[in-house]
Amino acid sequence: MTIGIAQDGRASLGSLYGNENIGGDYINNLPAATDPDKIYEQMTRQEYLDYVENYRGFEEQLIEKAQTDTSLIDAARTDSQAAAGLMSGVSDRNASRYGVNLTPAQRQERGRSLNRANTLGGVQSITDARVNQREANQAQLADLINIGQGVNRSSQSQMGSAAANATQRKNAYDTAKANSKAQTYSTLGGLGAMAIMAFAF
Amino acid sequence: MGSKPKQKDYEASGSEKASAAVAQAEYKYFKEKYDPLLQQMRDSSLKDTSTDSLRARANADTMQALTKPSAARAMRGADGGDIAQAYQGQLGIANTSGKDIQNKMQTNVLGTARGQASDAQSGMAQASNLATSQSLTRAKNNQAVSDAKMTAVGQVAGAALMKGMQNKATTGQKDTGKVDAAGKPIMETVQGGFFSPVDDAGNKVSGFGSRLAASNFFGGG
Repeated sequence: MTIGIAQDGRASLGSLYGNENIGGDYINNLPAATDPDKIYEQMTRQEYLDYVENYRGFEEQLIEKAQTDTSLIDAARTDSQAAAGLMSGVSDRNASRYGVNLTPAQRQERGRSLNRANTLGGVQSITDARVNQREANQAQLADLINIGQGVNRSSQSQMGSAAANATQRKNAYDTAKANSKAQTYSTLGGLGAMAIMAFAF
Repeated sequence: MGSKPKQKDYEASGSEKASAAVAQAEYKYFKEKYDPLLQQMRDSSLKDTSTDSLRARANADTMQALTKPSAARAMRGADGGDIAQAYQGQLGIANTSGKDIQNKMQTNVLGTARGQASDAQSGMAQASNLATSQSLTRAKNNQAVSDAKMTAVGQVAGAALMKGMQNKATTGQKDTGKVDAAGKPIMETVQGGFFSPVDDAGNKVSGFGSRLAASNFFGGG
């Protein structure tokens, strides 16, 4: 990639990005923001509408889930039921691979041992899942509260600025009104004084 | 007296106009390029694909570690319980890690959408160091101990069989107390039994010291 250097010594962005055709004055080619205040107003409104349309439902879903989710516990229950059959199959295949013939008593004992271990494993994994579920839900709720708190903080800050600006404007308006009134009275007073001077002498 | 104010004097400076134009363009660009991506992330965070991957990995780990074909285990036929416990433990860890990844992704999406900081990491790296559950380690240890026991039993049985065969192979010439026509004593060849060897004179070797001496274990007598 070559970086073209213009006569005034600046690197041309077109050559910087490997495309000779996109040179030129980017800034002046941008649509002008003729009324930044109006544009900012539209952007602020649009941002909020986009949030409501695209993320409000998602946020409510997350808040609900953080308080009611039991998916880890449900999965542990399902896995526990599946594990017994699966492991019995593994043992059977291993025995048949080596031509081992278990006596009925051995087979019965093996079944009992498998059931016992599976039940104990199931109890442990469901208990672990309960603990983990609680931890995961609390962590997610804490994250959501952090986000909400951040939004709340910036909203309060924005509202604080808006309130300060409104107060400033009201004060300026009151001052301007008072000045105007004073000016009017002063003018009237001046006119009155001139009239008295004119008619009295 | 000065002239009346001109609107031109109150216009934004060139740099302000440029900043506003750039800000407007960046906003438009963000909305076109990044907003759809964030919405895609939102949708994919609702599908729990990372848990599926982690469960598959946990399943593979357990099976690779604990289901190697072994004749000894096939005969014993009792390690299925350990595998079942380890399997459940590993899947539990996979589920928890998957849930953690999904939750992080969701709060990242929401945090970004709400203008808060995002972690910008998927957490899928956890897959590479998926924790090993206690039950998997315990099952592995149990298998190792059982295999060692079987090996030890095999070695002892092999040594006993070999020694028994050696005992049976011992022979000695035992005097019958009779003489033949030439007046020579009649000798009888005596063979050792499985459990007791015989010495050269055909006598059964008994007692720990005699057996040790006969075994040549410490270089003989």
